[in-house]
Amino acid sequence: MSVTASRPVPPPPAVVTRSGPPPSPLAAAGVPAMPRRRRSTPVTMRWIAIALVVVGLGVVGGAVQTFVGADRALARADANAAQLVRVQSIQTLLVQADADVTNSFLVGGLEPVDQRQAYTDAIHTATMLITQAATAQPADQAALADLSTAVTDYVGTIETARANNRQALPVGAQYLKNASAGLRADAVPVLTALISANEARVDVELRNARNAALVTVASLVGLAVLVVAMVWLARRTHRYVNWPMAVALALLAVYLVVAGAAMASLSSTVTQARDGSFAQMRDLAEARIAAFDAKANESLTLVARGSGAAFEDAWQQQATVVDQRLTSAGYSAGSTGPGGDLAGDWAAYAAAHQQIRALDGGGDWDGAVALATGTTQDGSSVAFATFDVHSGEALSGRTEQLRAELDRPRGSTIPLAVVGALVGLAVAALSWRGLGRRIEEYR
Amino acid sequence: MSRRPSRAARSPRSRLAGWAALAAGVMALTACTAGAYSDTVVPTPEPTSTESASSAPAATAEPAACDDPLASYTPDATLPAPTALPSGSTMAAIRERGRLIVGVSADSLLLGARNPITGRIEGFDIDMARLVAKAILGDPDKIELRVITAAQRIPVLTGHEVDLVARNMTITCDRWEQVAFSAEYYRSGQKVLVSLDSDATSMSDLSGQKVCAPAGSTSLDRIAEYPGVIAVPGTTHTDCLVKFQQGEVDAITGDDTVLAGLVAQDPYAKVVGESFSEEPYGLAMAPDQVDLVRFVNAVLAQAEADGSWMASYDRWLAPALGPVTAPPTPVYGR
Repeated sequence: MSVTASRPVPPPPAVVTRSGPPPSPLAAAGVPAMPRRRRSTPVTMRWIAIALVVVGLGVVGGAVQTFVGADRALARADANAAQLVRVQSIQTLLVQADADVTNSFLVGGLEPVDQRQAYTDAIHTATMLITQAATAQPADQAALADLSTAVTDYVGTIETARANNRQALPVGAQYLKNASAGLRADAVPVLTALISANEARVDVELRNARNAALVTVASLVGLAVLVVAMVWLARRTHRYVNWPMAVALALLAVYLVVAGAAMASLSSTVTQARDGSFAQMRDLAEARIAAFDAKANESLTLVARGSGAAFEDAWQQQATVVDQRLTSAGYSAGSTGPGGDLAGDWAAYAAAHQQIRALDGGGDWDGAVALATGTTQDGSSVAFATFDVHSGEALSGRTEQLRAELDRPRGSTIPLAVVGALVGLAVAALSWRGLGRRIEEYR
Repeated sequence: MSRRPSRAARSPRSRLAGWAALAAGVMALTACTAGAYSDTVVPTPEPTSTESASSAPAATAEPAACDDPLASYTPDATLPAPTALPSGSTMAAIRERGRLIVGVSADSLLLGARNPITGRIEGFDIDMARLVAKAILGDPDKIELRVITAAQRIPVLTGHEVDLVARNMTITCDRWEQVAFSAEYYRSGQKVLVSLDSDATSMSDLSGQKVCAPAGSTSLDRIAEYPGVIAVPGTTHTDCLVKFQQGEVDAITGDDTVLAGLVAQDPYAKVVGESFSEEPYGLAMAPDQVDLVRFVNAVLAQAEADGSWMASYDRWLAPALGPVTAPPTPVYGR
């Protein structure tokens, strides 16, 4: 492990190569390098050797810390991004479930079977994801417990609403309204907190992964100390090149270049992922959450039957969010991406919504409800389903892309850490050996 | 061992072991720096929005005095046909629009409630509104029913968002300051609803207990007359029923008509005691549309004469509240 690197290495340019005379043990007199003149040369050499071993170990530490750290940080960024996706899915599912159940209460009579099924599926998946999220991130457990409580309350209230609706009692609609309001008051703030916490964690880890300071500083310090030691040694011993130390110097210099290049490439990949697929993933997820909220508000506006101005305001707000997020995710009007023309899909839904508002505003509530709940091609539910499917495809595409981008640099981090550790150990060992020979000469 | 590097004399193997141990130590030190995250904190919102309606019944100032709140505007001698409405009148404008816009309740069973099976809003109040629609437009279905809460009744009229409010609204001097009422079309009275196993027989027995009534209603104001009774506002009477079923309140107070609708939905509730107030219902309109008020009074008078009032009462309210012989006698002269 130690002195294997004895192959010919060109001497560092700073040192003039000259096959000098045999070493004179007492030739050190008059050399100005060392301030402590009283200390004998072998003792000083011993101290320098120790210093160089420490420097070598510093390189080991710096390399391991930087590259293993970057590897771990990338893994954590990936895990946090997965948690973020999970939490955003939970929010999407809950809002979707609420939109489904609200919509099914709009029409008289019992809920349509497929809408009831869509609600049940959404709640089941959301509950499962909450459990998975709690396992994945211990720091989120307390918040997820709150969320779980809120969802249980919501589901319970919805079941009461259904039981009353089944008996044709108007109090059922009130339970529905209370459940919907409770979901927004209790669950949404928790989800918002979870989303921002996990976004912050991804950001922190991506910053950690790009931190090349330790390996750079350790290598530069190593180079500097080696050069100083070699110069001192050359003056003191009149042997201009200490080969083991020269090899150590060369190894370290090469490693510094390689490690620097690797970190620069990793940093640019990570920055690209953060500003590219990660930003787009966030935008798409936020667009979807806002879109489902808008759809639920469309139904609530109709449920309120003429007193739903606040819900329509909420629709407008969420629609603005959808437009903004789609644009910043690269889906501005007329442009297509993975998933297709999302802006076009949304515009089609928004047009159907405007028609519903026009009918409701014109007094044709029944027509508005038919358009909102019907399965005809111009109905808002059909248009919305198209947007849902396409934006879902786009989101999972972006998520896959992000995970691949975060995974790619990880192929080189561990080898670079191992190589760095070997180089550091080699520097320590070679320096020890190089100085050891000189010290031996004093015995 | 890092402090004492191996001497040159040591065997290569032990030297190797020393380096390896060192490297392992460094690795171990660097690897465990990635700690756990601090817990996700959910900001606790200030408890405001949930009871947003609770501020409504504030300012219980001195009740506005008026000679007789029940006195409405005298109707014209004859009710004009839908095709012969006076030009420039409010009715003509409504006919021009093609529908009558009415603020109603969708969850007061028997008075105005959405039938969960058909999705239609129906009840005694709705019948009254449809009479007006028929008189103006010739068709009781040319009507837009806007669902409003009790607290919204006055704002939607002063903002001219609706033509008429038919939502079990009590005629009071206070409300005459802001809106105009038709002649009385039904005389209700406030009672109290308690759970089946309660011993209470009146509001006086409910000291220390929570009693719910809709925000902005006369019922809620009247709870204050019973010391010790804790008033809890709900958004509607049905919201009060939800609170009652969830154990948040012990009783609900409101008009006998409304309570009859609530009891019909909950067999574990009962209405107790005699009415402790008079609640004359009127259709409410904007104060600047006196011609519409006169017209509506004529419609109500006609409904009394031709038996449609009685038919509607018998259909909705008689089973729960018992038969009556005639509607309240209208008072005019304002």
